[in-house]
Amino acid sequence: MRHSTRPRAFRITPVDAAILLAVAGAFGYVGYKAATGLNYHWKWEIIPQYILRFDETAKAWVPGLLVHGLLTTIRLSLWSGVLATILGTIMGLFRVSPRLFRRQIAGTYVELIRNTPPLVLVFVFYFYIGDQIMALLHMDELIRSLPLSSLGPVEFLFGPPHQLPQFLSAVITLSLFEGAYIAEIVRAGIDSIEPGQWEAARSLGMSRFKQMRYIIMPQAMQRMLPALAGQFISTIKDSAIVSVISIEELTFQGQQLMATTYRSFEVWITVLAMYFALTFCCSLAVRKLELGLQRK
Amino acid sequence: MTLWRTVVSSLVTLVVILGVSHVTLAGSDTRNALARESSLETILKRGTIKIGFDTFKPWAMKDKTGEYIGFEIDVAKRLASDMGVKAEFVPTKWSGIIPALLSGKFDILIGGMGITPQRNLKVNFSMPYEFTGMAILANKAKAPGLSSLEDFNKPEIVVAVRLGTTAAEAAKNFLPKATKRFFEEESQTIQELLNGRAHALVASNPLPANLAAEYADQIYLPLQEDFTSEPIGFALRKGDPDFLNWVNNWILFTNAKGWLKNRYDYWFKTKEWENRIQ
Repeated sequence: MRHSTRPRAFRITPVDAAILLAVAGAFGYVGYKAATGLNYHWKWEIIPQYILRFDETAKAWVPGLLVHGLLTTIRLSLWSGVLATILGTIMGLFRVSPRLFRRQIAGTYVELIRNTPPLVLVFVFYFYIGDQIMALLHMDELIRSLPLSSLGPVEFLFGPPHQLPQFLSAVITLSLFEGAYIAEIVRAGIDSIEPGQWEAARSLGMSRFKQMRYIIMPQAMQRMLPALAGQFISTIKDSAIVSVISIEELTFQGQQLMATTYRSFEVWITVLAMYFALTFCCSLAVRKLELGLQRK
Repeated sequence: MTLWRTVVSSLVTLVVILGVSHVTLAGSDTRNALARESSLETILKRGTIKIGFDTFKPWAMKDKTGEYIGFEIDVAKRLASDMGVKAEFVPTKWSGIIPALLSGKFDILIGGMGITPQRNLKVNFSMPYEFTGMAILANKAKAPGLSSLEDFNKPEIVVAVRLGTTAAEAAKNFLPKATKRFFEEESQTIQELLNGRAHALVASNPLPANLAAEYADQIYLPLQEDFTSEPIGFALRKGDPDFLNWVNNWILFTNAKGWLKNRYDYWFKTKEWENRIQ
């Protein structure tokens, strides 16, 4: 048996065809039942204007409500992803620290966050803790005192300036939440490195910091990456939770639209498709990254 | 090393204690500050008034261009211009709208909120600027030929209603025996009724009337009249008599001019605005 690395040629056998037909039939039947038995007047033609619409005053195509929501979701996920990675890495290193005090801090953080429902966490954080932080930073006055020239970049990075305090509260909450999971990924990555590597590094006379930096981390990073990328995709999906604190992301925009048009099915299906498109692109990118990192 | 650790841990403890006490003190702090200076001053200084609301057709909704339109939005814009400031709209989920007002996310709640004693314990209400009525909408196939509240007040009747609204209160009071199911969004209650999983729906008019017109072959209005008439007011934070006084007099003033009624009739009695949202 010679193992070939080339993928086999793709052929559809009669059995495959039968299975495909059966699956397609099942989907078709469910779809038909949903369309006819739901007692619902479908009006798909109202959806496109919420994705892209022609602005009469500006005489140009501009993004509609749902695309605005999608952009907010992307901003939210990016910032939360970055912050959560920083926080998670620090806490992950604390988890494997030789010092009890650091291990306890990180342990407390991870267990607290991991064992509470994110929805409740978001509420508590937003109404009790987020406010205090924003008040301490005098966020409101800061935004109002911004020069007009800087509003463009701020809007590009964080969305509408007047919603910045809410947006930051949401980002902090999401990062705290995702950071706990990233901390565990980092810990598992470091723990997975064979003890021999530590011993070898120590026998070269390296300090603990140097062992970490030159020997352990480079190897652990490689093992962590797939899980970290998966966690980032989770962050995108979890960002829907902050719709409860009225951040105008995709889910919130969808709900507002339903309250206005009462077209729940069309709107939900569109929102679902948009989320899927976003996360699926991320999945493909992750796949590429993993292939690139594999030792040739 | 031990000394260092002791210093660090005591510092951390101190920060935590300070943080916690700051949070607990913050409540009484803001109250004192509010008593000392009215929101009115803050708003005028800021040059914008922040208005909290939730999407409720036709009180407040987004049109095709993403701008807010509706009866409440007209009222809020007029109020802001009479005050000489800009209106900034803060769309907020209904379920968290009172906590959001109390924690200062906006200055005033103009969101078609019905005045109830329970809510009034937490917030101050202005005098009513409009009255809204509750109506019942029933499924023709599941609950045919009913025509009074008594007909619906039975355990086998399932009533769908939106959580935290005065419609939910009305359903509890007027239909105590009926089985009630609560939903976060109005679109869910409508779907529940159309799919026949609920016999009836309770909501403020004009929604039931509009729906009965759209789905005439599936649902109907069992009662000829609204079975309640509820006062709707602006909600403000407590301990601010100046702002409350200004808002009340604004309502008297605009009512005397007939402006409020004119806007109400436009949004509730006509369908001219329907093409702006779809």
